[in-house]
Amino acid sequence: MFSVRLMMKIALLGVSLGLSGCDGITDDLLPSGDDIRQTVEAGTSGTQVGQIPPDFSVLDTLGNSRGLYDELTRSTGVVLYFTMWCPICETHMSHMRAEVMPQFPAVQFFLVDFVSGSVAASRAAQVSNKYEDIDTLVDSNQALLSLYQASMGTTVVIDSAGNIVRMNEDYKDSVKLVETLQALP
Amino acid sequence: MKKANSGHCVSTQVPCGLLLGAALLFSSSSWSASCCGGGSATSLVLPKFSKSMVNIAFDIESYDGYWDGDGTYHNDQPGDDLNQYRLNLGYAHRLASRWQAAIVAPYVWNSNQYSGLSSNTNGLGDMTLGLTYEAFDGIKCVWKVRDWRDLIPAAYFGVALTVPTGISPYDNVANNFDITGRGFYRLDGNILLDKTIYPWNASLLFSYGKYLERDVNTEYGKPVEPYKKELGDRVLGTATFGYTHFLDNMDTMTFSLSYSRLQEDEVSYDGRPYAGSEIEKNSVGLILAYSTMNRDWVYKLNISHAFPEDGQGQNFPVTDIVTLGVSHVFR
Repeated sequence: MFSVRLMMKIALLGVSLGLSGCDGITDDLLPSGDDIRQTVEAGTSGTQVGQIPPDFSVLDTLGNSRGLYDELTRSTGVVLYFTMWCPICETHMSHMRAEVMPQFPAVQFFLVDFVSGSVAASRAAQVSNKYEDIDTLVDSNQALLSLYQASMGTTVVIDSAGNIVRMNEDYKDSVKLVETLQALP
Repeated sequence: MKKANSGHCVSTQVPCGLLLGAALLFSSSSWSASCCGGGSATSLVLPKFSKSMVNIAFDIESYDGYWDGDGTYHNDQPGDDLNQYRLNLGYAHRLASRWQAAIVAPYVWNSNQYSGLSSNTNGLGDMTLGLTYEAFDGIKCVWKVRDWRDLIPAAYFGVALTVPTGISPYDNVANNFDITGRGFYRLDGNILLDKTIYPWNASLLFSYGKYLERDVNTEYGKPVEPYKKELGDRVLGTATFGYTHFLDNMDTMTFSLSYSRLQEDEVSYDGRPYAGSEIEKNSVGLILAYSTMNRDWVYKLNISHAFPEDGQGQNFPVTDIVTLGVSHVFR
C-alpha cells in the first residue's frame, strides 16, 4: 500500500511540476491569430522585412569567402535558408530545389548551416545529404542566425535593387517565398 | 499446464488486459521523436474487473539518422548524439462496467549534441485524455477452443484527445530538437482487438487521428505574419503476437513481437496542402512483461527498432526506443 501511495504522489507531483514549469503553455492551448509583430521603420538598418541588412562575409563549404553585398551585385536577389539538416529542413530544401530554384535562375540561393560548426563538418553534412549543388554558407559561430533572428527553416529574401529584406519567416510551403521572388524589382 | 476453471479464468483476464494496456502505451511511444514532438500516448487501457490503474514508464529514445521525402535513409554526422528521454505517468479509472477513462502525462528531456550545437531542454509533453468502451462482458481469454464463441476477441473502442501541453515550435524555443510537443490538438478514434488462447496472444490496434487546425503567429519565439496550419490525418496500425509462460509461483512472463506502421498526410497552410510533407515510419518491437501472481503488478520492457535503410519511412527520424515501465492495478 505504501508503494501505491508513493506512486500516486510521484505522479501528481510530476504533473504539477510539469505544468508549473512550462512558460507560455497556454500559447498552444489557446493559440492566437493576432499579428504581434513589431513594426519597423522602412529603410532603416536591420534584418526584418523592409529594413536594409548589414553586410556580412562568411565562408562557404568550399572555403570561399562570400559577402552579402557582393552576391547582390551579381544577382536579382539573395535567398538564405537556415538548415540544421533535419527531416523538416530536408523537406523544405528538396522542395526548394525542385520547385522554386528553377523558376528563379537569376536569384542566388544559399543554405546556411548553423549547426555543423566548421567548414569540414558542414561540407560533410552537405555531401552526405546530397546538396552539393546548392551553395552552403558555414555559420560556424551562429552569427547569421543571431543577426537575422533566425531558426531552423527560416527563409530570408533580400532584393538587389534596394538591398531590402523582403521576407524573413519559416519556409512553410514556399508560397510566400515564390510570391516574394516574383515581386522582386 | 494449468487447467481452466472459472476462478482462474477471471484472474487470467487481468494480466490479459494489463499487457494490452501496455501494448497501447508502448506502440504509441514509438512515434515520439523530439524533432516531431514527444511523449503523447494513444491511451491507456484498464484491465477488465479492475477499478483503476497507475502506470509509470520511462522511455529512452536514440536517434540514428532520418528518412527524407523519397524514403532515402540519411545517416547522422560523426559526433552527433541525439537523445530524448520521457517519463510517462498514466492513470486509468473505471467509470462503469464497460466504460473507462485515462490520462497520460509525459515529461520530456531532450539531450542533443549535433556537431557544433549542444542543447539540453526539458518540459511537459503533450498530454492524452482517453475514453474507452469495452464491447464485451465476459472472459475472452481461454485455454482451449471448445466452441466458435471462444474465438471472439475482446474488442475495445476508444477516443483519445491529445492536448498540446508540451513545448512546441510555436513557443519560445530555438529549434525542433528542443521541443517536447507538436502544438496541436488531436482527436483519435481507436479500435483494439485482442485474443488470448493460452499460452498465445494476438492483438490488432488501429487508430485514426484528426488534428485540429490552429492559428500560428509565432515560430520559434519570433512573431510572424499570422496563418493557419493543420497537420495531416494520422493512421497508426500495430499488430502484436505474444506467448505467456506461467512460472511455478503462477507469476507470468509474456514475450511479444510487434510490427507498427504510422502515416500522416500532408500538412496544410491556410487550407493549402503542402505536397511532400507526408510522414511515415515502420518499426518492430519486442515486449517482455512480468506479472505477479495476483496480477496487480506488471513490469515491462519494450524495445522498439526502426530499420535504418531506404523505404522504411519518410520525412521522419530513425530511432530506437527502450521503455521500462511498471503498472499497478486496483481492484
